[in-house]
Amino acid sequence: MHEMSIALEIARIAEERLGESASQLVTVAVDVGDDAGVESASLEFCLDAVFSTPPFRGAKGVVVRAPGDVLQLAYLEVDDGNPDD
Amino acid sequence: MAIQTIEVRERVMARNDELAAQVRSRLDAHGVVAFNLVSSPGAGKTTLLERTLAAVGKELEIAVITGDVQTQNDAERLAVHTDRIVSAVITDGACHLDALQVLTALDALDLDHTRLLFIENVGNLVCPANWDLGEREKIVLFSVTEGEDKPLKYPAMFKRARHVVMTKTDLLPYVPFDIHAAMANAVRVNPELSFLEVSALRSWGLRDWFGFLRYSAAGEQVSA
Repeated sequence: MHEMSIALEIARIAEERLGESASQLVTVAVDVGDDAGVESASLEFCLDAVFSTPPFRGAKGVVVRAPGDVLQLAYLEVDDGNPDD
Repeated sequence: MAIQTIEVRERVMARNDELAAQVRSRLDAHGVVAFNLVSSPGAGKTTLLERTLAAVGKELEIAVITGDVQTQNDAERLAVHTDRIVSAVITDGACHLDALQVLTALDALDLDHTRLLFIENVGNLVCPANWDLGEREKIVLFSVTEGEDKPLKYPAMFKRARHVVMTKTDLLPYVPFDIHAAMANAVRVNPELSFLEVSALRSWGLRDWFGFLRYSAAGEQVSA
């Protein structure tokens, strides 16, 4: 059950990248390799829990399965609240 | 609303690996060889270390960092056999040690008078595989009371290890365990693995184990 520590590390990286816009985060996508030793459903659960606490405001965790033992924060989606152009 | 996508592509383990590199360079600077001992709970990590410390602890200037989930029991058992510092990390429920814990524990060790360092990981064949602790090599302990298919069930750990110590071999006559099938399974996962067979309780195979440790420590001294 190390998915929670992985989720916390992902939150640390996301906060570092986003700074003050952390509260605008809506999606967190993580590439998880089949040999990474990480359980997708469990990681998504932990991501949802971690990203519902400040400075975040309820971002959704999305796990993208990949071959090999890759484990990386793929991309972040933020919603700046402005209407579309 | 306007959704903006920010590409990150950052490895989750990047920070741990950075800290592991710091551990590695500190150990290298002092000529210390570190082994990360991993296994299922109850495979005999602490017992093998007790016998090792009692027999060659002083000679090889062995230091130990133990990772216990909730107690100091392992550290207390080992402290009986050595006056060398045993640094205990209580992981408070975490399933593995990480490089930061090891880096912090190094401060409590006299590295100038250490040649071998054992990091006794939390008993768990899944999680510790992902965390590089700055060790030279991972050693998996695989007891004959487990299943022969364990390497196939937990391939990540066997892939990342360099040595396998088959433990509790004195129990072989009493358990339906095919040691050759078990080792064949491990080699299927990682052809580079080398094997030792020991019973720490009966002192079987310990001479080979100590020989391996002497060789590892001496190799480092020559190059240091």
